[in-house]
Amino acid sequence: MTDIKPANPLEMVAYNLSLQIGDHQVVYVGTGLPMVAAILARKTHAANITLVYESGAQDPLEGGMPWSVGGPFTWRKSPLILEMSYSFGQAYNGYVDIGFLGFAQIDMYGNINTHMIGTDLMKPKVRLTGSGGNNDLSSLSEKMVLVGLQSPDKFVKKVDFITSVGFLEGGDTRKKAGLLGQGPVAVVTNAGVYDFEPESKRMRVKSLNPGVAFGLAQMATGFELLKPDGEIPVTPTPSAEVLGILRNEVDPLRVFTSMPGA
Amino acid sequence: MSAFDYNKEALKNLKFEDTKILDRLVDFESARSAHLKKDHSRRDKRVSLKEAIGEFVRDGDVLSDTGFSYVRTPMQAYFEILRQKKKNIQMIGSPNSNQSYMIAFGAACYSHNSYSGAEMRGYDRAYSRAVIEGKTRILSEWSHGTMAQGFKAAQLGVPGVFSKQLLGSDILKYNPYVKVMQNPMRADPDPVVFVPALYPDIAIIHVQAADRFGNARMYGPPINDIALAAAARRVIVTAEEIVPPGDIRSNNKGVVIPFTAVDAVVELPFGAAPGSMPGYYYWSRQWWEKLMRWACQSQANINEYFEHWVFSCKDQFDFIEKLGGAKWVAMSRRLTKAEEYDNEDLGFDFSYKEFKSLETETGIYY
Repeated sequence: MTDIKPANPLEMVAYNLSLQIGDHQVVYVGTGLPMVAAILARKTHAANITLVYESGAQDPLEGGMPWSVGGPFTWRKSPLILEMSYSFGQAYNGYVDIGFLGFAQIDMYGNINTHMIGTDLMKPKVRLTGSGGNNDLSSLSEKMVLVGLQSPDKFVKKVDFITSVGFLEGGDTRKKAGLLGQGPVAVVTNAGVYDFEPESKRMRVKSLNPGVAFGLAQMATGFELLKPDGEIPVTPTPSAEVLGILRNEVDPLRVFTSMPGA
Repeated sequence: MSAFDYNKEALKNLKFEDTKILDRLVDFESARSAHLKKDHSRRDKRVSLKEAIGEFVRDGDVLSDTGFSYVRTPMQAYFEILRQKKKNIQMIGSPNSNQSYMIAFGAACYSHNSYSGAEMRGYDRAYSRAVIEGKTRILSEWSHGTMAQGFKAAQLGVPGVFSKQLLGSDILKYNPYVKVMQNPMRADPDPVVFVPALYPDIAIIHVQAADRFGNARMYGPPINDIALAAAARRVIVTAEEIVPPGDIRSNNKGVVIPFTAVDAVVELPFGAAPGSMPGYYYWSRQWWEKLMRWACQSQANINEYFEHWVFSCKDQFDFIEKLGGAKWVAMSRRLTKAEEYDNEDLGFDFSYKEFKSLETETGIYY
């Protein structure tokens, strides 16, 4: 067998996102790496998952990468398409097992920001997209997985604006605020995979990618990362077979899994 | 004194002194009165796009975006609004991406936000600039789901609903319309957010088919449009095709808008272009990429872009000619059908040249 190129950081993210998904789950996805991960999961260890989208689409037959979360690949031969209000309603009612969210900023409690960079929403440095379905999914899904690139200006002490609550101020403050579900269960980045310490709810290293030492991950983070007990596990790398599926079947045009400048 | 009890912390954060501008969106009584006063008879409501926009979109209106940013969105109707130089519009929507150029050209200057952007094509630089420079004034912040609940509450015929979204977030601090309260049904502490029913002044909804009375048949994701047709004080339906009433009755799967809600019906083939129209045509991806990556970089760029695509076009047919005419029509029809269902065995090729910088015009916008 010919030597294949090892997984690049984005492919690692897609693979480790896919590992968060359990078989038979209902998975709420958006465009980008979450969708790559969901489709990869379905082709590998989770053949029976159901994908649902913010377009209201339920369980489409697989096609290519959608150009938009409202595009026909998200509702291709769907048995039905829900209105937006009911699409999120199913999350409230316990029909969504896991959702994926991106972010511009994240803090140690998994609170995330997609609204703005700056100090004043009325006069920001940069105005970003706003919530979209981000806040809805984070408030209602049973489990959330957060995905983003790791750098000190994204992983910050305090986000400039709380678009979506992770664990709010830690402890049981999320529950007390009245939100549903378990909150974020993982953060997957190009440095590794993080979870949240059960008592304080602070972000904690779960595993680091091969070649990434804790010091490096900490340097790329604007707050103190917690360490797990014992030796830090190494994040699983996709096998050649899985990598082949990712490259040849899931994202063959490398829309979401090619590194800039590659 | 206002009839409405707004969230005082949000009023402070949004720097409101006079709340009058917020009232219409939640004024049920005026919405009911407007609906009662409409002519409820089954009559021929067909007019031209020019006439529909002229009469039913008014300066200062609360206008709701419909469809999903660029999926079954009434793009051509919005362009006509720009051509008719309407002003002082409050744009609301879930998502609300089309407010970007409405603000850039001075038609809209107020925003009820939920999402403005183009997904994987990044954040909207024009909208960011508009907020920073004060070209638009933010009136409220929402999530998709809570704004959808507000429209749905109106259709449900209730003063509002209680939601579990927004709790603990900063969005709550910038929404004058929603309040945290105790769930009345629970004895233990259970915070919920009251979301009032929302009533835009005008919604323009693009559908695949409608009869001359306004009954409308929709295919593909409805998003919030079924609720909006019931909620809005005025509704314009633009349709790819006008069909006989018998067709609406015999093929009523997907008929989701009743004629009583509709003020005007416009026969408008390609009314969603350059967005996608399920069953009919695909996005012009290059048009959107050029908009987001080049036109949105500066007011000068967007002026040039819209001079070419909107102000020097008199109707959607001029626009289609510039996209590539009949060649574009044939190609985009094949693309959307292939993506929806027709190509299970054929391995249809969706590749195209992504617009990354100002390149030579090829004559067809894929």
